[in-house]
Amino acid sequence: MNGWLGRRKWITIILFLLPTIIAILVFNVYPILLNTYISFTNRNKFRPNPNCDVALTGLLDPLCWPSFRENAPKGLGSPYVLQDPILGNYDTLMGKLFTPEALLALLFVVLVFSPIIAANYFSKKQERKIHKKIPSGTIWLFGLLTAVALFFVLNIPRSINELMATGDFLTVVFRTILFVALRVPLTFLIGLILALILNSDNLPGKTFFRVVLFIPWGASSVAILMALVWQFLFRQQGTINQIISLFGGTGPIWLNNPVLAFGVIVLADIWFSYPFFMVSILGALQSIPKELYEAAEVDGADWWTQLSRITLPLIRPAVLPAAVLTSITAFQMFGTAFAITNGGPVRGAGVPGATEFVMVYAFKQIFQQQNYGTATAFAVLIFILLFLATLYSLRVTRMTKGAYE
Amino acid sequence: MSKKLLTITSVLLIAVFLLAACKPAATPTEEATMPVEPTSMPDEPTMAPTMAPGEPTTEPPMDKTTITIWNQWDGKYLEAIEAAFKDYEAAHPNVVIDLSKPEDVKSALTVAIPAGEGPDIIGWANDAIGEQALIGNIVALSDYGITSEFLSSTYEPAAVNGVTWMGSIWGLPETQEGIALIYNKDLVTEEYLPTDPLDFEGLLASATKFKEDTGNPLICNQGFGANDAYHMSPIYFGFGVPAYVDEEGKGYMDTPEAIAAAEWLKKLSAVSFAENSYDICNAALAEGKVGMWWTGPWAVAGIEESGVNLGILPFGRPFVGIKTLLLTTNAVTRGNTDIAIDVMKYFTSAEVQKKLSLVNKTIPAATAALQDPEVAALTAVVGFGAALNLGVPMSPSPFSSAQWDPVGNASAAVWTGAQEPAVAMADAQSAIEEKVAGMK
Repeated sequence: MNGWLGRRKWITIILFLLPTIIAILVFNVYPILLNTYISFTNRNKFRPNPNCDVALTGLLDPLCWPSFRENAPKGLGSPYVLQDPILGNYDTLMGKLFTPEALLALLFVVLVFSPIIAANYFSKKQERKIHKKIPSGTIWLFGLLTAVALFFVLNIPRSINELMATGDFLTVVFRTILFVALRVPLTFLIGLILALILNSDNLPGKTFFRVVLFIPWGASSVAILMALVWQFLFRQQGTINQIISLFGGTGPIWLNNPVLAFGVIVLADIWFSYPFFMVSILGALQSIPKELYEAAEVDGADWWTQLSRITLPLIRPAVLPAAVLTSITAFQMFGTAFAITNGGPVRGAGVPGATEFVMVYAFKQIFQQQNYGTATAFAVLIFILLFLATLYSLRVTRMTKGAYE
Repeated sequence: MSKKLLTITSVLLIAVFLLAACKPAATPTEEATMPVEPTSMPDEPTMAPTMAPGEPTTEPPMDKTTITIWNQWDGKYLEAIEAAFKDYEAAHPNVVIDLSKPEDVKSALTVAIPAGEGPDIIGWANDAIGEQALIGNIVALSDYGITSEFLSSTYEPAAVNGVTWMGSIWGLPETQEGIALIYNKDLVTEEYLPTDPLDFEGLLASATKFKEDTGNPLICNQGFGANDAYHMSPIYFGFGVPAYVDEEGKGYMDTPEAIAAAEWLKKLSAVSFAENSYDICNAALAEGKVGMWWTGPWAVAGIEESGVNLGILPFGRPFVGIKTLLLTTNAVTRGNTDIAIDVMKYFTSAEVQKKLSLVNKTIPAATAALQDPEVAALTAVVGFGAALNLGVPMSPSPFSSAQWDPVGNASAAVWTGAQEPAVAMADAQSAIEEKVAGMK
């Protein structure tokens, strides 16, 4: 009598899996479905309630479920319905992107990056050659110079302005990408420098410094409070300006200036997040065998060669996934920006403020304006973006797998 | 045999797991009501002390009715208000009043009401009426025996207007609020005070002179440079803008009056702090670094505490906001309407509001309380009363929600110099129109 075969086996397996599957459906799939559905409707302050007779609404909106139906509020507002045209919310967010001018502008922006991508490709190809190598530095320099030249030739600032005018979506996403592009490399650099210092053998009080430098990471549990401290530092009457006035100068009004306010947010967020990089790099550094450096010293390699030929390549497997993940979290940054500038400084009515990143924008749309339709459409677009980024990050992680083998 | 037992045990175990996992699937309340729980948690501590005096020695009778009031009273205001409700409980031993203050009333209501939880009464500003009535979280009081005769004979006309929408009465008015210039009498002498409350050029000249004489700005206003259309209202309405958005959804921000107001704002920014906030203004006034603070009755108690010799000067035409008590659908489903309306009537009555006014310096909406000689003699009531008489009542229409962001952002852009007044106002107008179109 052996029951562990065939159908019974599968039933048992499925029964064991079922709780998890149900939990995933309830907590992951359902919210995504509801959100996507709402993004096709005109739900807002004036059409707050569902019309449960519409099949999909009745199925998806919790207010239509038997346990809530009885108590569901029935106000004077009309029920929400599907947008007409169905992509109306997406159209308001980025509809103007699909005009010839905007597409051309987008093409120009992509073109600027092409020399860098090409340089990456060719330098890799050259590395594999044995004879007649063109040094990769030359290729990179050439690529970068071409990119800079293209930037001016194609008048990229104008293209960017044109793209920004296509709707809130690109404005907000572009600004967030700029934030990520500034924050992540700078965080990496600071983390690397501190990790190299902390890793040196003859540093007295190493544990002390390690703890002190790690404090910002712990402080992110009270992130809002710390962000308010940063805000206080950069106020018109704040600490920085008072120090400047001690030397007879007048400090700028940091948080009213779009560029400076952006800088303050980047700075504050770097402070919050450098310990993560520092600790990951420190861990990676300690796993590098000392013999490699000894051998390099015997061969007469100087500090810089050791760093660029031994240290950096060997910490790469640890740091690259960390960098990708940090980029994704930086993309979703909310607390620091919201607490310090509240998305401001304001640039006028109807346009997102200068530090209104994707999450700040989504928050304002939902909680301050109750534009559920537009906000959920925005969320769907961001979800697609981040999903692609996550897939790419998986690829990067797999790419580094073989480094130690 | 033992094998069979094992099978049965494992099947039972699976069933337990399944049931545990299915629970949220069958009743997703779990997920939906989660945010409410922490907010309703703080009820318990406040309930305990309020219950105690109500029933000193008798054992608790079974037919006690709990009336839950979600409110936005805080700090020093709350003490006197709690005392007033304790008096009510003492007079009505079968009623328990549970005051609580969720952090985000709007979101908390969204999940609480469908689940049959949450308040019987909400204490809220009257501009929430339209939106909440559209959702259906609140019910019209006119369906439960409150007549317009009762309303107009008990409360001030502005307050009556503020709770009436679409021909129904949606709440009982508690206090009226609006902003005026609170000034430090020791710093701002007669020569700086404009005599006409609509003489904006005069005020600008005083501000310029004050800055030259003392090196400090004359006026602080938390709305300067912030997204805050409420604190900007005395300026726009004072220049003759009838409303940001009217009841039909028409915007007035591209009018010459609005542009003139924005230009005045730009000139004033040259002689003021670039950054203003409630805390900055509060500290600056207390330290004598600013002459006046354009703020409302809620700030008076704090200013008095800091020892400033204050005077109140009505200026411009501020928004008149009405703090109201609204009746929720919960009260109806629970059958609490009679008691809840009685509590609302009690709290907004002249007798209670007089007591609160004397302690909290609020401006009662009940006519009898406002005309009471003791109340009428209060500095705050005299000063703010005059400002309220000049003011524009806040509309309960949901279109009014289209005004805050555009007007606030445009004013901030004018203040920081990001946009020229005319451009900013034109943008504000189109943003309002876009929002109203989305609502219609």
